[in-house]
Amino acid sequence: MEHGIVLKPEVLGYIGFLPVTNTLLVSWIVMFILLVVSIFATWRLKLVPSGLQNFMEMIIEGGYNIVSDIAGNRTKVFFPFVFTFFLYIIFANWIGLLPGFTTITFHGEPILRSMSSDLNMTLGLALLSAVVTHIFAIKYLGLWDYLKRWVSFNPIFLFVGVLEIVAEFTKLLSLSFRLFGNIFAGEVVLATIAGIFAFVLPLPFYFLEIVVGFVQAAVFMMLTLVFMVLLTEKHEAEH
Amino acid sequence: MEKILSEFGVQPVLLAAQVVNFLILLFILKKFLYGPILKVLQKRKDVIAESLRNAEEIEKKLKVANEEADKIIAKALEEAKKILDDSNKTGAQILADTNTAAEEILQKAKEESSKFIEFERIKLNQEVRENIGRLVFVAFEKITGKILTEEDKKKLTEKSLKNLS
Repeated sequence: MEHGIVLKPEVLGYIGFLPVTNTLLVSWIVMFILLVVSIFATWRLKLVPSGLQNFMEMIIEGGYNIVSDIAGNRTKVFFPFVFTFFLYIIFANWIGLLPGFTTITFHGEPILRSMSSDLNMTLGLALLSAVVTHIFAIKYLGLWDYLKRWVSFNPIFLFVGVLEIVAEFTKLLSLSFRLFGNIFAGEVVLATIAGIFAFVLPLPFYFLEIVVGFVQAAVFMMLTLVFMVLLTEKHEAEH
Repeated sequence: MEKILSEFGVQPVLLAAQVVNFLILLFILKKFLYGPILKVLQKRKDVIAESLRNAEEIEKKLKVANEEADKIIAKALEEAKKILDDSNKTGAQILADTNTAAEEILQKAKEESSKFIEFERIKLNQEVRENIGRLVFVAFEKITGKILTEEDKKKLTEKSLKNLS
Protein backbone atom coordinates (compact mmCIF):
# COMPACT_ATOMS: atom_id res chain seq x y z
CA MET A 1 0.00 0.00 0.00
CA GLU A 2 1.62 3.22 -1.13
CA HIS A 3 -1.05 5.72 -0.24
CA GLY A 4 0.20 6.94 3.12
CA ILE A 5 1.75 10.13 1.84
CA VAL A 6 -1.27 12.09 0.79
CA LEU A 7 -1.64 15.45 2.47
CA LYS A 8 -5.19 16.11 1.41
CA PRO A 9 -8.01 14.24 3.07
CA GLU A 10 -10.03 12.13 0.71
CA VAL A 11 -13.55 13.33 -0.02
CA LEU A 12 -16.10 10.53 0.35
CA GLY A 13 -19.15 12.46 -0.72
CA TYR A 14 -21.07 15.67 -0.32
CA ILE A 15 -23.85 16.73 2.04
CA GLY A 16 -25.15 19.81 0.28
CA PHE A 17 -22.08 22.02 -0.19
CA LEU A 18 -20.16 20.26 2.61
CA PRO A 19 -17.54 17.85 1.38
CA VAL A 20 -17.56 14.91 3.78
CA THR A 21 -13.95 13.86 4.05
CA ASN A 22 -12.81 10.70 5.77
CA THR A 23 -11.30 12.80 8.56
CA LEU A 24 -14.56 14.65 9.10
CA LEU A 25 -16.34 11.30 9.29
CA VAL A 26 -13.87 10.17 11.95
CA SER A 27 -14.39 13.39 13.90
CA TRP A 28 -18.12 12.65 13.95
CA ILE A 29 -17.45 9.11 15.13
CA VAL A 30 -15.23 10.46 17.90
CA MET A 31 -17.93 12.90 18.94
CA PHE A 32 -20.48 10.14 18.99
CA ILE A 33 -18.25 7.89 21.11
CA LEU A 34 -17.56 10.73 23.54
CA LEU A 35 -21.28 11.42 23.78
CA VAL A 36 -22.03 7.77 24.52
CA VAL A 37 -19.23 7.51 27.07
CA SER A 38 -20.37 10.70 28.81
CA ILE A 39 -23.96 9.57 29.00
CA PHE A 40 -22.98 6.15 30.31
CA ALA A 41 -20.56 7.63 32.83
CA THR A 42 -23.15 9.99 34.24
CA TRP A 43 -26.24 7.85 33.68
CA ARG A 44 -26.94 7.27 37.35
CA LEU A 45 -24.47 9.32 39.28
CA LYS A 46 -23.74 7.82 42.65
CA LEU A 47 -22.00 9.39 45.58
CA VAL A 48 -20.03 6.19 45.91
CA PRO A 49 -18.79 5.77 42.35
CA SER A 50 -17.96 2.60 40.50
CA GLY A 51 -16.94 1.48 37.05
CA LEU A 52 -17.05 4.05 34.27
CA GLN A 53 -18.16 6.85 36.57
CA ASN A 54 -15.15 6.24 38.76
CA PHE A 55 -12.82 6.24 35.78
CA MET A 56 -14.20 9.43 34.26
CA GLU A 57 -14.19 11.11 37.66
CA MET A 58 -10.53 10.26 37.99
CA ILE A 59 -9.73 11.76 34.59
CA ILE A 60 -11.82 14.87 35.08
CA GLU A 61 -10.63 15.51 38.61
CA GLY A 62 -7.02 15.13 37.47
CA GLY A 63 -7.61 17.51 34.56
CA TYR A 64 -9.45 19.95 36.77
CA ASN A 65 -6.62 20.01 39.28
CA ILE A 66 -4.04 20.62 36.57
CA VAL A 67 -6.11 23.43 35.07
CA SER A 68 -6.78 25.01 38.45
CA ASP A 69 -3.07 24.96 39.28
CA ILE A 70 -2.46 27.18 36.27
CA ALA A 71 -5.67 29.12 35.83
CA GLY A 72 -6.50 29.80 39.49
CA ASN A 73 -9.82 31.58 39.85
CA ARG A 74 -10.59 31.35 36.11
CA THR A 75 -10.62 27.53 36.17
CA LYS A 76 -14.39 27.22 35.96
CA VAL A 77 -14.50 29.09 32.66
CA PHE A 78 -11.34 27.71 31.05
CA PHE A 79 -11.68 24.11 32.09
CA PRO A 80 -14.51 23.01 29.76
CA PHE A 81 -12.73 24.45 26.73
CA VAL A 82 -9.24 23.14 27.30
CA PHE A 83 -10.40 19.77 28.54
CA THR A 84 -12.69 19.33 25.56
CA PHE A 85 -9.66 19.98 23.37
CA PHE A 86 -7.81 17.30 25.29
CA LEU A 87 -10.54 14.67 25.17
CA TYR A 88 -11.39 15.35 21.53
CA ILE A 89 -7.79 15.16 20.34
CA ILE A 90 -6.73 12.19 22.45
CA PHE A 91 -9.76 10.13 21.43
CA ALA A 92 -9.24 11.07 17.79
CA ASN A 93 -5.54 10.19 17.95
CA TRP A 94 -6.05 6.84 19.63
CA ILE A 95 -8.99 5.85 17.51
CA GLY A 96 -6.79 6.50 14.47
CA LEU A 97 -4.54 3.68 15.62
CA LEU A 98 -7.27 1.09 15.39
CA PRO A 99 -7.07 -1.44 12.58
CA GLY A 100 -9.15 -0.49 9.56
CA PHE A 101 -7.96 3.08 9.45
CA THR A 102 -6.59 3.94 5.99
CA THR A 103 -6.92 0.29 5.00
CA ILE A 104 -10.65 -0.10 4.43
CA THR A 105 -11.43 1.61 1.16
CA PHE A 106 -14.58 2.76 -0.58
CA HIS A 107 -14.40 3.50 -4.30
CA GLY A 108 -10.64 3.48 -3.96
CA GLU A 109 -10.59 5.96 -1.05
CA PRO A 110 -9.96 5.02 2.58
CA ILE A 111 -13.14 5.53 4.59
CA LEU A 112 -11.40 6.21 7.88
CA ARG A 113 -8.38 8.41 8.45
CA SER A 114 -6.99 9.74 11.69
CA MET A 115 -8.60 13.13 12.29
CA SER A 116 -5.43 15.02 13.10
CA SER A 117 -3.71 13.88 9.93
CA ASP A 118 -5.78 16.52 8.13
CA LEU A 119 -4.69 20.14 8.45
CA ASN A 120 -8.32 21.26 8.15
CA MET A 121 -9.15 19.63 11.45
CA THR A 122 -6.12 20.84 13.39
CA LEU A 123 -6.25 24.33 11.92
CA GLY A 124 -9.92 24.50 12.81
CA LEU A 125 -9.13 23.64 16.41
CA ALA A 126 -6.22 26.09 16.52
CA LEU A 127 -8.37 28.90 15.09
CA LEU A 128 -11.06 28.21 17.62
CA SER A 129 -8.50 28.08 20.41
CA ALA A 130 -7.13 31.48 19.36
CA VAL A 131 -10.52 33.11 18.92
CA VAL A 132 -11.81 31.82 22.25
CA THR A 133 -8.62 32.98 23.94
CA HIS A 134 -9.13 36.49 22.63
CA ILE A 135 -12.79 36.48 23.60
CA PHE A 136 -11.78 35.53 27.14
CA ALA A 137 -9.15 38.25 27.12
CA ILE A 138 -11.77 40.88 26.22
CA LYS A 139 -14.13 39.43 28.81
CA TYR A 140 -11.61 39.56 31.64
CA LEU A 141 -9.68 42.73 30.72
CA GLY A 142 -12.33 44.83 29.07
CA LEU A 143 -11.99 46.07 25.51
CA TRP A 144 -9.71 49.00 26.33
CA ASP A 145 -7.12 47.04 28.30
CA TYR A 146 -7.26 44.34 25.67
CA LEU A 147 -6.46 46.77 22.86
CA LYS A 148 -3.68 48.40 24.86
CA ARG A 149 -1.76 45.16 24.50
CA TRP A 150 -1.52 45.52 20.75
CA VAL A 151 -1.63 49.24 20.12
CA SER A 152 0.27 51.90 21.98
CA PHE A 153 1.31 55.56 21.44
CA ASN A 154 4.75 54.76 22.73
CA PRO A 155 6.72 53.72 19.61
CA ILE A 156 8.61 51.02 21.46
CA PHE A 157 5.44 49.45 22.81
CA LEU A 158 3.81 49.88 19.43
CA PHE A 159 6.58 47.77 17.99
CA VAL A 160 6.16 45.24 20.76
CA GLY A 161 2.44 45.20 19.98
CA VAL A 162 3.14 44.42 16.35
CA LEU A 163 5.44 41.62 17.43
CA GLU A 164 2.70 40.27 19.67
CA ILE A 165 0.26 40.28 16.77
CA VAL A 166 2.74 38.32 14.70
CA ALA A 167 3.19 35.97 17.65
CA GLU A 168 -0.53 35.30 17.68
CA PHE A 169 -0.34 34.04 14.10
CA THR A 170 2.70 31.98 14.96
CA LYS A 171 0.75 30.37 17.75
CA LEU A 172 -1.94 29.47 15.29
CA LEU A 173 0.54 27.89 12.93
CA SER A 174 2.52 26.11 15.62
CA LEU A 175 -0.58 24.67 17.29
CA SER A 176 -2.07 23.37 14.07
CA PHE A 177 1.10 22.14 12.39
CA ARG A 178 2.49 20.49 15.50
CA LEU A 179 -0.56 18.32 15.94
CA PHE A 180 -0.97 17.70 12.23
CA GLY A 181 2.71 16.94 11.68
CA ASN A 182 2.99 14.51 14.56
CA ILE A 183 -0.07 12.48 13.71
CA PHE A 184 0.45 12.59 9.97
CA ALA A 185 4.05 11.48 10.40
CA GLY A 186 2.87 8.73 12.69
CA GLU A 187 0.43 7.52 10.06
CA VAL A 188 3.14 7.53 7.43
CA VAL A 189 5.57 5.70 9.70
CA LEU A 190 3.01 3.05 10.60
CA ALA A 191 2.04 2.56 6.95
CA THR A 192 5.67 2.30 5.90
CA ILE A 193 6.63 -0.15 8.65
CA ALA A 194 3.54 -2.25 7.95
CA GLY A 195 4.55 -2.18 4.29
CA ILE A 196 7.99 -3.56 5.17
CA PHE A 197 6.77 -6.30 7.50
CA ALA A 198 3.26 -6.35 8.88
CA PHE A 199 3.74 -8.80 11.79
CA VAL A 200 5.08 -7.76 15.22
CA LEU A 201 7.44 -5.17 13.69
CA PRO A 202 4.93 -2.26 13.84
CA LEU A 203 4.14 -2.94 17.53
CA PRO A 204 6.81 -0.66 19.04
CA PHE A 205 5.69 2.07 16.68
CA TYR A 206 2.13 1.59 17.83
CA PHE A 207 3.26 2.07 21.40
CA LEU A 208 5.12 5.15 20.31
CA GLU A 209 2.01 6.48 18.58
CA ILE A 210 -0.08 5.89 21.70
CA VAL A 211 2.38 8.03 23.64
CA VAL A 212 2.50 10.64 20.88
CA GLY A 213 -1.29 10.78 20.74
CA PHE A 214 -1.45 11.49 24.46
CA VAL A 215 1.41 13.96 24.43
CA GLN A 216 0.01 15.94 21.51
CA ALA A 217 -3.42 16.16 23.13
CA ALA A 218 -1.84 17.27 26.39
CA VAL A 219 0.37 19.81 24.61
CA PHE A 220 -2.55 21.29 22.73
CA MET A 221 -4.54 21.55 25.94
CA MET A 222 -1.72 23.01 28.01
CA LEU A 223 -0.69 25.55 25.37
CA THR A 224 -4.27 26.71 24.92
CA LEU A 225 -4.59 27.00 28.67
CA VAL A 226 -1.34 28.92 29.02
CA PHE A 227 -2.30 31.30 26.21
CA MET A 228 -5.66 31.89 27.85
CA VAL A 229 -4.06 32.58 31.22
CA LEU A 230 -1.41 34.87 29.73
CA LEU A 231 -3.83 36.90 27.65
CA THR A 232 -6.38 37.31 30.42
CA GLU A 233 -3.79 38.55 32.89
CA LYS A 234 -3.36 42.29 33.33
CA HIS A 235 0.15 43.04 32.22
CA GLU A 236 2.08 45.61 34.16
CA ALA A 237 4.85 46.24 31.62
CA GLU A 238 3.49 49.62 30.63
CA HIS A 239 4.04 51.32 33.98
CA MET B 1 0.27 30.87 0.92
CA GLU B 2 -2.70 29.99 -1.19
CA LYS B 3 -0.72 27.25 -2.84
CA ILE B 4 0.42 25.78 0.45
CA LEU B 5 -3.09 25.78 1.80
CA SER B 6 -4.50 24.11 -1.29
CA GLU B 7 -1.70 21.57 -1.15
CA PHE B 8 -2.81 20.65 2.35
CA GLY B 9 -6.38 20.52 1.16
CA VAL B 10 -7.52 23.31 3.46
CA GLN B 11 -11.04 24.43 2.73
CA PRO B 12 -12.85 27.10 4.75
CA VAL B 13 -15.98 25.00 4.88
CA LEU B 14 -14.07 22.14 6.48
CA LEU B 15 -12.51 24.50 9.03
CA ALA B 16 -15.98 25.73 9.85
CA ALA B 17 -17.20 22.14 10.10
CA GLN B 18 -14.49 21.36 12.60
CA VAL B 19 -15.29 24.49 14.61
CA VAL B 20 -18.94 23.47 14.69
CA ASN B 21 -17.92 19.95 15.67
CA PHE B 22 -15.92 21.29 18.55
CA LEU B 23 -18.68 23.58 19.77
CA ILE B 24 -21.20 20.74 19.66
CA LEU B 25 -18.78 18.51 21.53
CA LEU B 26 -18.15 21.25 24.06
CA PHE B 27 -21.87 21.55 24.68
CA ILE B 28 -22.31 17.80 24.97
CA LEU B 29 -19.40 17.30 27.33
CA LYS B 30 -20.34 20.28 29.46
CA LYS B 31 -23.87 19.01 29.82
CA PHE B 32 -23.24 15.29 30.22
CA LEU B 33 -19.74 14.99 31.62
CA TYR B 34 -18.14 18.00 33.30
CA GLY B 35 -21.26 19.39 34.90
CA PRO B 36 -22.57 16.25 36.56
CA ILE B 37 -19.17 14.90 37.52
CA LEU B 38 -17.83 18.14 38.96
CA LYS B 39 -21.09 18.51 40.85
CA VAL B 40 -20.85 15.01 42.28
CA LEU B 41 -17.21 15.60 43.23
CA GLN B 42 -18.17 18.77 45.08
CA LYS B 43 -21.05 16.97 46.75
CA ARG B 44 -18.79 14.16 47.87
CA LYS B 45 -16.32 16.67 49.25
CA ASP B 46 -19.12 18.30 51.24
CA VAL B 47 -20.36 14.97 52.50
CA ILE B 48 -16.90 13.93 53.61
CA ALA B 49 -16.31 17.23 55.35
CA GLU B 50 -19.66 16.97 57.08
CA SER B 51 -19.11 13.40 58.19
CA LEU B 52 -15.70 14.34 59.54
CA ARG B 53 -17.27 17.17 61.46
CA ASN B 54 -19.95 14.80 62.73
CA ALA B 55 -17.35 12.29 63.81
CA GLU B 56 -15.54 14.99 65.75
CA GLU B 57 -18.75 16.04 67.43
CA ILE B 58 -19.59 12.46 68.29
CA GLU B 59 -16.17 11.99 69.79
CA LYS B 60 -16.64 15.12 71.85
CA LYS B 61 -20.02 13.93 73.02
CA LEU B 62 -18.59 10.54 73.85
CA LYS B 63 -15.91 12.18 75.95
CA VAL B 64 -18.48 14.20 77.85
CA ALA B 65 -20.65 11.14 78.33
CA ASN B 66 -17.67 9.16 79.59
CA GLU B 67 -16.80 11.88 82.04
CA GLU B 68 -20.38 11.98 83.24
CA ALA B 69 -20.48 8.23 83.60
CA ASP B 70 -17.27 8.36 85.63
CA LYS B 71 -18.80 11.02 87.84
CA ILE B 72 -21.96 9.01 88.34
CA ILE B 73 -19.99 5.90 89.19
CA ALA B 74 -17.88 7.80 91.70
CA LYS B 75 -21.00 9.21 93.28
CA ALA B 76 -22.61 5.79 93.42
CA LEU B 77 -19.50 4.34 95.03
CA GLU B 78 -19.53 7.06 97.64
CA GLU B 79 -23.17 6.47 98.36
CA ALA B 80 -22.66 2.75 98.60
CA LYS B 81 -19.85 3.31 101.04
CA LYS B 82 -22.02 5.59 103.09
CA ILE B 83 -24.84 3.07 103.12
CA LEU B 84 -22.42 0.35 104.15
CA ASP B 85 -21.05 2.50 106.96
CA ASP B 86 -24.53 3.34 108.13
CA SER B 87 -25.62 -0.24 108.10
CA ASN B 88 -22.48 -1.24 109.98
CA LYS B 89 -23.18 1.37 112.56
CA THR B 90 -26.82 0.41 112.96
CA GLY B 91 -25.84 -3.22 113.06
CA ALA B 92 -23.43 -2.51 115.89
CA GLN B 93 -26.10 -0.47 117.63
CA ILE B 94 -28.62 -3.27 117.32
CA LEU B 95 -26.07 -5.75 118.61
CA ALA B 96 -25.30 -3.56 121.54
CA ASP B 97 -28.98 -3.04 122.26
CA THR B 98 -29.70 -6.74 122.16
CA ASN B 99 -26.74 -7.36 124.41
CA THR B 100 -27.98 -4.94 127.02
CA ALA B 101 -31.48 -6.31 126.67
CA ALA B 102 -30.17 -9.83 127.13
CA GLU B 103 -28.18 -8.73 130.13
CA GLU B 104 -31.24 -7.11 131.62
CA ILE B 105 -33.26 -10.22 131.03
CA LEU B 106 -30.51 -12.29 132.58
CA GLN B 107 -30.34 -9.96 135.54
CA LYS B 108 -34.05 -10.13 135.97
CA ALA B 109 -34.00 -13.89 135.74
CA LYS B 110 -31.24 -14.00 138.33
CA GLU B 111 -33.19 -11.81 140.68
CA GLU B 112 -36.32 -13.84 140.19
CA SER B 113 -34.51 -17.05 140.79
CA SER B 114 -32.80 -15.75 143.95
CA LYS B 115 -36.15 -14.52 145.17
CA PHE B 116 -37.62 -17.92 144.51
CA ILE B 117 -34.75 -19.62 146.29
CA GLU B 118 -35.20 -17.31 149.26
CA PHE B 119 -38.86 -18.09 149.35
CA GLU B 120 -38.19 -21.78 149.20
CA ARG B 121 -35.67 -21.50 151.94
CA ILE B 122 -38.09 -19.67 154.22
CA LYS B 123 -40.74 -22.21 153.46
CA LEU B 124 -38.32 -25.01 154.26
CA ASN B 125 -37.31 -23.29 157.42
CA GLN B 126 -40.88 -23.08 158.49
CA GLU B 127 -41.48 -26.67 157.68
CA VAL B 128 -38.37 -27.66 159.55
CA ARG B 129 -39.47 -25.64 162.53
CA GLU B 130 -42.89 -27.20 162.47
CA ASN B 131 -41.42 -30.62 162.22
CA ILE B 132 -38.94 -29.97 164.98
CA GLY B 133 -41.71 -28.64 167.14
CA ARG B 134 -43.75 -31.75 166.59
CA LEU B 135 -40.71 -33.84 167.24
CA VAL B 136 -40.11 -31.99 170.48
CA PHE B 137 -43.72 -32.56 171.52
CA VAL B 138 -43.59 -36.21 170.71
CA ALA B 139 -40.29 -36.58 172.52
CA PHE B 140 -41.57 -34.62 175.50
CA GLU B 141 -44.72 -36.72 175.66
CA LYS B 142 -42.71 -39.88 175.47
CA ILE B 143 -40.33 -38.75 178.14
CA THR B 144 -42.83 -37.18 180.48
CA GLY B 145 -45.81 -39.38 179.59
CA LYS B 146 -48.02 -36.41 179.83
CA ILE B 147 -50.34 -35.30 177.09
CA LEU B 148 -49.72 -31.76 176.21
CA THR B 149 -52.45 -29.22 176.03
CA GLU B 150 -52.56 -26.56 173.50
CA GLU B 151 -51.16 -24.08 175.91
CA ASP B 152 -48.24 -26.27 176.74
CA LYS B 153 -47.54 -26.82 173.17
CA LYS B 154 -47.34 -23.13 172.56
CA LYS B 155 -45.03 -22.55 175.48
CA LEU B 156 -42.87 -25.40 174.51
CA THR B 157 -42.61 -24.33 170.95
CA GLU B 158 -41.64 -20.86 171.87
CA LYS B 159 -39.08 -22.14 174.28
CA SER B 160 -37.49 -24.55 171.90
CA LEU B 161 -37.51 -21.97 169.13
CA LYS B 162 -35.70 -19.63 171.45
CA ASN B 163 -33.16 -22.28 172.02
CA LEU B 164 -32.84 -23.07 168.42
CA SER B 165 -32.29 -19.56 167.21
